[in-house]
Amino acid sequence: MHLASGSADYIGLANAPILWILAMAVMGVVVVQSLIYMTAVKKNAESAGMSQREVRTAFRAGGVAAIGPSLSVVLVAIALLPLFGTPPVIVRVGLIGSAATEVASASLAAGTMGANLGDETFTRGVFIVALMAMSLSGAGWMISTLILTPIFKRSTHKLEKVNPALMSIIPGAALLAAFAALTFREIPKSPTHVIAVIVSAVVMSICLFLAKVLKANWLKEWGLGISLLVGLVAAYFAHYAGLGLPEA
Amino acid sequence: MSSIITSPSHAAFERTTTRWGSITLFIGFLIATSVPFYLLFVADANVDFGNILKGFLAVFAVYGVFYIVEPLTYFPILGPAGMYQAFMIGNVSNKLLPSAIVAQDTIGAKPGTRKGEYAATMAICGAAIIHVASMVIFVGILGTWLVALIPAPITLVAKLYILPAILGGVTVQLIASLRQVKSTLIALGLAALVILVLIPLVPVLAPGDVAIVVFLTILITWFTRNKKVTDTRSGGDTVGIN
Repeated sequence: MHLASGSADYIGLANAPILWILAMAVMGVVVVQSLIYMTAVKKNAESAGMSQREVRTAFRAGGVAAIGPSLSVVLVAIALLPLFGTPPVIVRVGLIGSAATEVASASLAAGTMGANLGDETFTRGVFIVALMAMSLSGAGWMISTLILTPIFKRSTHKLEKVNPALMSIIPGAALLAAFAALTFREIPKSPTHVIAVIVSAVVMSICLFLAKVLKANWLKEWGLGISLLVGLVAAYFAHYAGLGLPEA
Repeated sequence: MSSIITSPSHAAFERTTTRWGSITLFIGFLIATSVPFYLLFVADANVDFGNILKGFLAVFAVYGVFYIVEPLTYFPILGPAGMYQAFMIGNVSNKLLPSAIVAQDTIGAKPGTRKGEYAATMAICGAAIIHVASMVIFVGILGTWLVALIPAPITLVAKLYILPAILGGVTVQLIASLRQVKSTLIALGLAALVILVLIPLVPVLAPGDVAIVVFLTILITWFTRNKKVTDTRSGGDTVGIN
Protein backbone atom coordinates (compact mmCIF):
# COMPACT_ATOMS: atom_id res chain seq x y z
CA MET A 1 0.00 0.00 0.00
CA HIS A 2 1.32 3.42 -0.88
CA LEU A 3 0.51 6.15 1.50
CA ALA A 4 -0.04 9.85 1.27
CA SER A 5 2.92 12.14 1.24
CA GLY A 6 3.41 13.67 4.68
CA SER A 7 2.46 17.08 3.37
CA ALA A 8 -1.31 16.46 3.12
CA ASP A 9 -2.91 19.68 4.32
CA TYR A 10 -5.43 18.08 6.70
CA ILE A 11 -2.85 16.21 8.78
CA GLY A 12 -2.37 19.14 11.16
CA LEU A 13 -6.12 19.21 11.67
CA ALA A 14 -6.26 15.43 12.18
CA ASN A 15 -3.69 15.74 14.96
CA ALA A 16 -5.54 18.56 16.79
CA PRO A 17 -5.19 18.44 20.60
CA ILE A 18 -8.93 17.96 21.12
CA LEU A 19 -8.83 14.84 18.94
CA TRP A 20 -5.97 13.49 21.06
CA ILE A 21 -8.19 14.03 24.11
CA LEU A 22 -11.09 12.20 22.44
CA ALA A 23 -8.80 9.32 21.39
CA MET A 24 -7.43 8.93 24.91
CA ALA A 25 -11.00 9.15 26.29
CA VAL A 26 -12.06 6.28 24.05
CA MET A 27 -9.16 4.15 25.28
CA GLY A 28 -10.09 5.21 28.82
CA VAL A 29 -13.65 3.95 28.34
CA VAL A 30 -12.30 0.53 27.28
CA VAL A 31 -10.14 0.38 30.42
CA VAL A 32 -13.01 1.43 32.67
CA GLN A 33 -15.28 -1.20 31.14
CA SER A 34 -12.64 -3.88 31.71
CA LEU A 35 -12.12 -2.82 35.34
CA ILE A 36 -15.87 -3.02 36.00
CA TYR A 37 -16.07 -6.46 34.39
CA MET A 38 -13.03 -7.74 36.28
CA THR A 39 -14.55 -6.64 39.57
CA ALA A 40 -17.82 -8.36 38.64
CA VAL A 41 -16.01 -11.64 37.90
CA LYS A 42 -13.84 -11.49 41.04
CA LYS A 43 -16.89 -10.86 43.23
CA ASN A 44 -18.98 -13.64 41.75
CA ALA A 45 -16.41 -16.26 40.68
CA GLU A 46 -17.11 -18.36 43.75
CA SER A 47 -20.68 -18.98 42.57
CA ALA A 48 -19.25 -20.80 39.52
CA GLY A 49 -16.72 -22.79 41.53
CA MET A 50 -13.86 -20.69 40.23
CA SER A 51 -10.97 -19.83 42.52
CA GLN A 52 -9.36 -16.38 42.66
CA ARG A 53 -6.20 -18.00 41.37
CA GLU A 54 -8.06 -19.25 38.29
CA VAL A 55 -9.52 -15.75 37.84
CA ARG A 56 -6.01 -14.28 37.76
CA THR A 57 -4.71 -17.05 35.49
CA ALA A 58 -7.54 -16.44 33.00
CA PHE A 59 -6.76 -12.72 32.97
CA ARG A 60 -3.06 -13.34 32.42
CA ALA A 61 -3.62 -16.00 29.76
CA GLY A 62 -5.96 -13.65 27.86
CA GLY A 63 -3.44 -10.83 28.06
CA VAL A 64 -0.53 -13.01 26.93
CA ALA A 65 -2.56 -14.43 24.05
CA ALA A 66 -3.38 -10.90 22.91
CA ILE A 67 0.26 -9.76 22.65
CA GLY A 68 0.93 -11.22 19.19
CA PRO A 69 -2.35 -10.09 17.63
CA SER A 70 -1.99 -6.64 19.24
CA LEU A 71 1.50 -6.10 17.88
CA SER A 72 0.42 -7.03 14.39
CA VAL A 73 -2.57 -4.69 14.60
CA VAL A 74 -0.11 -2.01 15.72
CA LEU A 75 2.04 -2.62 12.64
CA VAL A 76 -0.92 -2.05 10.36
CA ALA A 77 -2.17 0.94 12.36
CA ILE A 78 1.24 2.60 12.11
CA ALA A 79 1.14 2.22 8.34
CA LEU A 80 -2.11 4.22 8.34
CA LEU A 81 -0.76 7.15 10.37
CA PRO A 82 0.44 9.32 7.45
CA LEU A 83 -2.96 8.90 5.82
CA PHE A 84 -5.35 9.64 8.71
CA GLY A 85 -3.32 11.19 11.54
CA THR A 86 -2.74 9.59 14.92
CA PRO A 87 -5.97 10.27 16.89
CA PRO A 88 -8.33 9.10 14.11
CA VAL A 89 -6.28 5.90 13.70
CA ILE A 90 -6.45 5.19 17.43
CA VAL A 91 -10.21 5.75 17.49
CA ARG A 92 -10.95 3.77 14.31
CA VAL A 93 -8.54 0.84 14.72
CA GLY A 94 -8.73 0.89 18.53
CA LEU A 95 -12.50 0.48 18.61
CA ILE A 96 -14.89 -1.84 16.76
CA GLY A 97 -13.63 -2.78 13.35
CA SER A 98 -10.21 -3.77 12.25
CA ALA A 99 -7.52 -2.15 10.17
CA ALA A 100 -8.72 -4.05 7.10
CA THR A 101 -12.36 -2.96 7.50
CA GLU A 102 -11.39 0.65 8.05
CA VAL A 103 -9.12 0.85 5.02
CA ALA A 104 -11.78 -0.75 2.83
CA SER A 105 -14.44 1.64 4.17
CA ALA A 106 -12.26 4.70 3.65
CA SER A 107 -11.49 3.68 0.12
CA LEU A 108 -15.17 3.01 -0.67
CA ALA A 109 -16.21 6.40 0.69
CA ALA A 110 -13.38 8.20 -1.11
CA GLY A 111 -14.49 6.49 -4.32
CA THR A 112 -17.89 8.20 -4.15
CA MET A 113 -16.05 11.52 -4.45
CA GLY A 114 -13.88 10.30 -7.28
CA ALA A 115 -10.82 10.12 -5.03
CA ASN A 116 -8.26 7.45 -4.13
CA LEU A 117 -6.61 6.69 -0.81
CA GLY A 118 -3.17 8.14 -0.55
CA ASP A 119 -2.79 10.21 -3.71
CA GLU A 120 -3.34 13.91 -4.38
CA THR A 121 -7.10 13.41 -4.90
CA PHE A 122 -7.41 12.55 -1.20
CA THR A 123 -8.05 16.10 -0.02
CA ARG A 124 -9.27 17.57 3.23
CA GLY A 125 -12.90 17.20 2.16
CA VAL A 126 -12.46 13.60 1.05
CA PHE A 127 -10.65 12.83 4.30
CA ILE A 128 -13.58 14.12 6.34
CA VAL A 129 -16.18 12.26 4.26
CA ALA A 130 -14.13 9.04 4.53
CA LEU A 131 -13.68 9.38 8.28
CA MET A 132 -17.37 10.19 8.69
CA ALA A 133 -18.38 7.10 6.71
CA MET A 134 -16.00 4.88 8.72
CA SER A 135 -17.29 6.30 12.00
CA LEU A 136 -20.97 5.96 11.09
CA SER A 137 -20.35 2.40 9.95
CA GLY A 138 -18.60 1.59 13.24
CA ALA A 139 -21.56 3.16 15.01
CA GLY A 140 -23.83 0.75 13.09
CA TRP A 141 -22.19 -2.24 14.81
CA MET A 142 -22.34 -0.61 18.23
CA ILE A 143 -25.97 0.48 18.00
CA SER A 144 -27.15 -2.85 16.64
CA THR A 145 -25.29 -4.62 19.47
CA LEU A 146 -27.00 -2.36 22.02
CA ILE A 147 -30.40 -3.16 20.50
CA LEU A 148 -29.93 -6.87 19.72
CA THR A 149 -28.16 -8.11 22.86
CA PRO A 150 -31.16 -7.71 25.21
CA ILE A 151 -33.38 -9.38 22.58
CA PHE A 152 -30.99 -12.34 22.17
CA LYS A 153 -30.71 -12.59 25.94
CA ARG A 154 -34.46 -12.89 26.39
CA SER A 155 -34.70 -15.57 23.71
CA THR A 156 -31.86 -17.65 25.20
CA HIS A 157 -33.53 -17.55 28.60
CA LYS A 158 -36.69 -18.87 26.94
CA LEU A 159 -34.74 -21.57 25.10
CA GLU A 160 -32.97 -22.62 28.28
CA LYS A 161 -36.34 -23.19 29.89
CA VAL A 162 -37.40 -25.39 26.99
CA ASN A 163 -34.27 -27.52 27.20
CA PRO A 164 -31.34 -26.78 29.49
CA ALA A 165 -29.01 -28.94 27.38
CA LEU A 166 -29.13 -26.30 24.63
CA MET A 167 -26.74 -23.96 26.33
CA SER A 168 -24.31 -26.76 27.02
CA ILE A 169 -24.10 -27.60 23.32
CA ILE A 170 -24.50 -24.34 21.45
CA PRO A 171 -21.46 -22.31 22.61
CA GLY A 172 -18.94 -25.06 21.90
CA ALA A 173 -20.48 -25.97 18.56
CA ALA A 174 -20.74 -22.30 17.58
CA LEU A 175 -17.08 -21.67 18.45
CA LEU A 176 -15.89 -24.69 16.48
CA ALA A 177 -18.05 -23.72 13.52
CA ALA A 178 -17.00 -20.06 13.56
CA PHE A 179 -13.28 -20.87 13.62
CA ALA A 180 -13.56 -23.69 11.12
CA ALA A 181 -15.37 -21.30 8.75
CA LEU A 182 -12.99 -18.40 9.35
CA THR A 183 -10.02 -20.68 8.71
CA PHE A 184 -11.44 -22.20 5.53
CA ARG A 185 -12.15 -18.68 4.32
CA GLU A 186 -8.39 -18.05 4.18
CA ILE A 187 -7.68 -21.07 1.99
CA PRO A 188 -8.85 -19.80 -1.43
CA LYS A 189 -7.01 -16.48 -1.02
CA SER A 190 -3.48 -17.61 -2.03
CA PRO A 191 -0.95 -20.44 -1.48
CA THR A 192 0.77 -18.25 1.12
CA HIS A 193 -2.45 -18.04 3.13
CA VAL A 194 -2.62 -21.83 3.12
CA ILE A 195 1.00 -22.02 4.27
CA ALA A 196 0.36 -19.52 7.08
CA VAL A 197 -2.66 -21.54 8.29
CA ILE A 198 -0.84 -24.88 8.16
CA VAL A 199 2.43 -23.72 9.75
CA SER A 200 0.54 -21.97 12.54
CA ALA A 201 -1.60 -25.08 13.13
CA VAL A 202 1.40 -27.41 13.19
CA VAL A 203 3.39 -25.17 15.56
CA MET A 204 0.39 -24.97 17.88
CA SER A 205 0.03 -28.77 17.84
CA ILE A 206 3.69 -29.09 18.84
CA CYS A 207 3.27 -26.49 21.61
CA LEU A 208 0.21 -28.25 23.03
CA PHE A 209 1.87 -31.66 22.78
CA LEU A 210 4.94 -30.37 24.63
CA ALA A 211 2.73 -28.61 27.18
CA LYS A 212 1.14 -31.96 27.96
CA VAL A 213 4.28 -34.11 27.94
CA LEU A 214 6.44 -31.65 29.87
CA LYS A 215 3.54 -30.46 32.03
CA ALA A 216 4.45 -26.94 30.92
CA ASN A 217 1.20 -25.02 31.22
CA TRP A 218 2.84 -21.76 30.15
CA LEU A 219 3.11 -23.24 26.65
CA LYS A 220 -0.69 -23.21 26.43
CA GLU A 221 -0.63 -19.48 27.15
CA TRP A 222 2.27 -18.61 24.84
CA GLY A 223 1.37 -21.12 22.11
CA LEU A 224 -0.67 -18.60 20.13
CA GLY A 225 2.10 -15.99 20.14
CA ILE A 226 4.64 -18.60 19.03
CA SER A 227 2.47 -20.06 16.25
CA LEU A 228 1.52 -16.59 15.05
CA LEU A 229 5.17 -15.55 14.81
CA VAL A 230 6.37 -18.73 13.09
CA GLY A 231 3.33 -18.60 10.78
CA LEU A 232 4.19 -15.03 9.77
CA VAL A 233 7.87 -15.88 9.20
CA ALA A 234 6.80 -18.73 6.93
CA ALA A 235 4.37 -16.39 5.16
CA TYR A 236 7.17 -13.83 4.73
CA PHE A 237 9.37 -16.31 2.86
CA ALA A 238 6.46 -17.75 0.87
CA HIS A 239 5.22 -14.30 -0.09
CA TYR A 240 8.58 -13.09 -1.33
CA ALA A 241 9.12 -16.41 -3.10
CA GLY A 242 6.19 -15.30 -5.26
CA LEU A 243 3.40 -17.42 -3.74
CA GLY A 244 1.43 -14.53 -2.35
CA LEU A 245 -1.04 -11.96 -3.48
CA PRO A 246 0.38 -9.61 -6.11
CA GLU A 247 -0.44 -6.46 -4.14
CA ALA A 248 -3.17 -5.68 -1.67
CA MET B 1 -34.98 -16.22 43.84
CA SER B 2 -35.20 -12.50 44.14
CA SER B 3 -33.50 -12.02 47.45
CA ILE B 4 -31.27 -8.99 47.80
CA ILE B 5 -27.97 -10.17 46.51
CA THR B 6 -24.75 -9.28 48.16
CA SER B 7 -23.30 -12.78 48.14
CA PRO B 8 -21.60 -14.09 44.99
CA SER B 9 -24.15 -14.95 42.32
CA HIS B 10 -24.46 -15.16 38.57
CA ALA B 11 -27.45 -12.83 38.68
CA ALA B 12 -25.29 -10.11 40.23
CA PHE B 13 -22.65 -10.66 37.54
CA GLU B 14 -25.23 -10.39 34.79
CA ARG B 15 -26.79 -7.25 36.28
CA THR B 16 -23.47 -5.44 36.59
CA THR B 17 -22.16 -6.42 33.17
CA THR B 18 -25.43 -5.64 31.38
CA ARG B 19 -25.86 -2.23 32.98
CA TRP B 20 -22.25 -1.07 32.80
CA GLY B 21 -21.47 -2.91 29.60
CA SER B 22 -24.19 -1.08 27.70
CA ILE B 23 -23.43 2.28 29.35
CA THR B 24 -19.72 2.09 28.49
CA LEU B 25 -20.45 0.89 24.96
CA PHE B 26 -22.81 3.82 24.47
CA ILE B 27 -20.24 6.31 25.76
CA GLY B 28 -17.60 4.78 23.48
CA PHE B 29 -19.99 5.18 20.56
CA LEU B 30 -20.64 8.86 21.41
CA ILE B 31 -16.96 9.78 21.72
CA ALA B 32 -15.88 7.86 18.62
CA THR B 33 -18.65 9.41 16.50
CA SER B 34 -17.86 12.92 17.73
CA VAL B 35 -14.41 12.78 16.07
CA PRO B 36 -15.52 13.28 12.44
CA PHE B 37 -18.24 15.74 13.50
CA TYR B 38 -15.64 17.88 15.22
CA LEU B 39 -13.53 17.86 12.06
CA LEU B 40 -16.57 18.64 9.93
CA PHE B 41 -17.37 21.75 11.96
CA VAL B 42 -13.88 23.17 12.38
CA ALA B 43 -12.44 22.32 8.98
CA ASP B 44 -13.17 24.67 6.16
CA ALA B 45 -13.71 21.77 3.79
CA ASN B 46 -16.62 22.36 1.47
CA VAL B 47 -18.36 19.09 2.34
CA ASP B 48 -22.13 18.85 2.30
CA PHE B 49 -24.63 16.40 3.70
CA GLY B 50 -25.04 14.75 0.29
CA ASN B 51 -21.33 13.85 0.13
CA ILE B 52 -21.48 12.28 3.56
CA LEU B 53 -24.65 10.34 2.83
CA LYS B 54 -23.21 9.00 -0.42
CA GLY B 55 -19.96 8.02 1.28
CA PHE B 56 -21.75 6.27 4.11
CA LEU B 57 -24.14 4.43 1.77
CA ALA B 58 -21.19 3.07 -0.21
CA VAL B 59 -19.77 1.62 3.01
CA PHE B 60 -23.17 0.51 4.28
CA ALA B 61 -23.82 -1.42 1.07
CA VAL B 62 -20.79 -3.60 1.83
CA TYR B 63 -20.86 -3.82 5.64
CA GLY B 64 -24.48 -3.11 6.58
CA VAL B 65 -25.44 -6.77 6.69
CA PHE B 66 -22.60 -7.43 9.17
CA TYR B 67 -24.14 -5.07 11.74
CA ILE B 68 -26.77 -7.76 12.20
CA VAL B 69 -24.93 -10.94 11.16
CA GLU B 70 -21.90 -10.51 13.42
CA PRO B 71 -23.78 -9.93 16.69
CA LEU B 72 -25.99 -12.88 15.73
CA THR B 73 -22.97 -15.12 15.02
CA TYR B 74 -21.00 -14.23 18.13
CA PHE B 75 -23.80 -14.04 20.69
CA PRO B 76 -23.92 -17.81 21.37
CA ILE B 77 -20.15 -17.73 21.94
CA LEU B 78 -19.74 -14.50 23.90
CA GLY B 79 -22.93 -14.36 25.92
CA PRO B 80 -24.55 -11.03 26.82
CA ALA B 81 -21.64 -9.73 28.94
CA GLY B 82 -19.01 -10.39 26.29
CA MET B 83 -21.09 -8.72 23.56
CA TYR B 84 -20.62 -5.27 25.09
CA GLN B 85 -16.88 -5.83 25.29
CA ALA B 86 -16.43 -7.37 21.86
CA PHE B 87 -18.42 -4.80 19.91
CA MET B 88 -16.67 -1.95 21.65
CA ILE B 89 -13.13 -3.21 21.13
CA GLY B 90 -13.57 -4.95 17.78
CA ASN B 91 -10.92 -7.41 16.58
CA VAL B 92 -13.26 -10.20 17.73
CA SER B 93 -11.99 -13.14 15.69
CA ASN B 94 -8.31 -12.16 15.62
CA LYS B 95 -7.82 -11.09 19.23
CA LEU B 96 -10.67 -11.40 21.73
CA LEU B 97 -12.00 -14.89 20.97
CA PRO B 98 -8.49 -16.38 20.66
CA SER B 99 -7.70 -14.91 24.10
CA ALA B 100 -10.87 -16.45 25.53
CA ILE B 101 -10.02 -19.84 24.02
CA VAL B 102 -6.46 -19.76 25.38
CA ALA B 103 -7.69 -18.85 28.87
CA GLN B 104 -10.37 -21.55 28.91
CA ASP B 105 -7.81 -24.09 27.75
CA THR B 106 -5.29 -22.96 30.38
CA ILE B 107 -7.62 -23.34 33.36
CA GLY B 108 -9.56 -26.24 31.83
CA ALA B 109 -12.99 -24.57 31.64
CA LYS B 110 -15.50 -25.40 28.90
CA PRO B 111 -17.49 -22.85 26.90
CA GLY B 112 -21.14 -22.85 27.86
CA THR B 113 -20.39 -23.26 31.56
CA ARG B 114 -20.37 -20.40 34.04
CA LYS B 115 -16.72 -20.98 34.73
CA GLY B 116 -16.04 -20.86 31.00
CA GLU B 117 -17.97 -17.59 30.73
CA TYR B 118 -16.05 -16.00 33.61
CA ALA B 119 -12.74 -17.22 32.22
CA ALA B 120 -13.64 -15.72 28.82
CA THR B 121 -14.64 -12.42 30.44
CA MET B 122 -11.35 -12.18 32.37
CA ALA B 123 -9.41 -13.14 29.24
CA ILE B 124 -11.13 -10.45 27.18
CA CYS B 125 -10.34 -7.94 29.95
CA GLY B 126 -6.69 -9.00 29.80
CA ALA B 127 -6.74 -8.70 26.02
CA ALA B 128 -8.43 -5.27 26.27
CA ILE B 129 -5.71 -3.96 28.58
CA ILE B 130 -2.95 -5.20 26.24
CA HIS B 131 -4.90 -3.75 23.29
CA VAL B 132 -5.16 -0.30 24.90
CA ALA B 133 -1.54 -0.33 26.07
CA SER B 134 -0.28 -1.28 22.61
CA MET B 135 -2.41 1.37 20.90
CA VAL B 136 -1.40 4.13 23.31
CA ILE B 137 2.32 3.28 23.49
CA PHE B 138 3.16 2.03 20.00
CA VAL B 139 0.64 3.96 17.91
CA GLY B 140 -0.05 7.05 20.03
CA ILE B 141 3.34 7.83 21.51
CA LEU B 142 5.88 6.06 19.30
CA GLY B 143 3.85 5.76 16.10
CA THR B 144 5.20 8.64 14.06
CA TRP B 145 8.76 7.57 14.97
CA LEU B 146 8.15 3.88 14.21
CA VAL B 147 6.51 4.57 10.87
CA ALA B 148 9.87 5.57 9.43
CA LEU B 149 11.67 2.68 11.10
CA ILE B 150 9.76 -0.47 10.14
CA PRO B 151 10.58 -1.78 6.65
CA ALA B 152 7.58 -1.77 4.31
CA PRO B 153 7.91 -5.49 3.33
CA ILE B 154 7.41 -6.53 6.97
CA THR B 155 4.36 -4.31 7.38
CA LEU B 156 2.92 -5.72 4.17
CA VAL B 157 3.34 -9.35 5.27
CA ALA B 158 1.86 -8.59 8.70
CA LYS B 159 -1.11 -6.94 7.04
CA LEU B 160 -1.78 -9.69 4.50
CA TYR B 161 -1.19 -12.81 6.55
CA ILE B 162 -1.91 -11.96 10.17
CA LEU B 163 -5.36 -13.53 10.09
CA PRO B 164 -4.40 -16.97 8.68
CA ALA B 165 -1.36 -17.05 11.00
CA ILE B 166 -3.66 -16.59 13.99
CA LEU B 167 -6.52 -18.81 12.82
CA GLY B 168 -4.46 -21.95 12.22
CA GLY B 169 -3.14 -21.98 15.77
CA VAL B 170 -6.36 -20.91 17.48
CA THR B 171 -8.46 -23.51 15.71
CA VAL B 172 -6.07 -26.28 16.81
CA GLN B 173 -6.09 -25.04 20.41
CA LEU B 174 -9.87 -24.80 20.36
CA ILE B 175 -10.24 -28.36 19.08
CA ALA B 176 -7.74 -29.66 21.65
CA SER B 177 -9.45 -27.77 24.44
CA LEU B 178 -13.03 -28.82 23.69
CA ARG B 179 -12.33 -32.49 22.86
CA GLN B 180 -15.68 -32.84 21.13
CA VAL B 181 -14.76 -35.11 18.27
CA LYS B 182 -18.16 -35.22 16.67
CA SER B 183 -18.85 -31.47 16.75
CA THR B 184 -15.34 -30.86 15.44
CA LEU B 185 -15.87 -33.13 12.46
CA ILE B 186 -19.29 -31.64 11.75
CA ALA B 187 -17.89 -28.09 11.95
CA LEU B 188 -14.88 -28.82 9.72
CA GLY B 189 -16.96 -30.72 7.17
CA LEU B 190 -19.64 -28.04 6.96
CA ALA B 191 -17.04 -25.26 6.79
CA ALA B 192 -15.30 -26.95 3.87
CA LEU B 193 -18.61 -27.56 2.11
CA VAL B 194 -20.05 -24.07 2.62
CA ILE B 195 -16.88 -22.00 2.08
CA LEU B 196 -15.28 -23.99 -0.72
CA VAL B 197 -18.38 -25.24 -2.57
CA LEU B 198 -21.58 -23.36 -1.69
CA ILE B 199 -20.23 -19.79 -1.63
CA PRO B 200 -18.46 -19.99 -5.01
CA LEU B 201 -21.73 -21.34 -6.47
CA VAL B 202 -23.98 -18.78 -4.75
CA PRO B 203 -21.79 -15.72 -4.16
CA VAL B 204 -24.62 -13.56 -2.76
CA LEU B 205 -24.48 -15.66 0.40
CA ALA B 206 -20.86 -14.66 1.04
CA PRO B 207 -21.52 -12.08 3.79
CA GLY B 208 -23.37 -14.74 5.77
CA ASP B 209 -20.89 -17.57 5.23
CA VAL B 210 -19.69 -17.91 8.82
CA ALA B 211 -23.23 -17.53 10.15
CA ILE B 212 -24.47 -20.31 7.86
CA VAL B 213 -21.75 -22.70 9.08
CA VAL B 214 -22.45 -21.78 12.72
CA PHE B 215 -26.18 -22.26 12.32
CA LEU B 216 -25.92 -25.61 10.51
CA THR B 217 -23.30 -26.93 12.94
CA ILE B 218 -25.47 -26.08 15.93
CA LEU B 219 -28.46 -27.67 14.24
CA ILE B 220 -26.73 -30.93 13.30
CA THR B 221 -24.87 -31.22 16.60
CA TRP B 222 -28.14 -30.67 18.42
CA PHE B 223 -30.15 -33.27 16.55
CA THR B 224 -27.44 -35.91 16.71
CA ARG B 225 -26.60 -35.40 20.38
CA ASN B 226 -26.49 -38.28 22.78
CA LYS B 227 -29.56 -37.39 24.79
CA LYS B 228 -28.65 -39.65 27.69
CA VAL B 229 -25.49 -37.63 28.27
CA THR B 230 -26.58 -34.10 27.54
CA ASP B 231 -30.17 -33.91 28.73
CA THR B 232 -29.60 -35.25 32.20
CA ARG B 233 -27.09 -32.79 33.50
CA SER B 234 -27.67 -31.37 36.92
CA GLY B 235 -26.37 -28.22 38.50
CA GLY B 236 -24.00 -25.65 37.10
CA ASP B 237 -21.42 -27.65 35.26
CA THR B 238 -21.79 -29.13 31.85
CA VAL B 239 -20.94 -32.45 30.39
CA GLY B 240 -19.08 -32.17 27.12
CA ILE B 241 -20.81 -34.08 24.41
CA ASN B 242 -19.09 -36.98 22.70
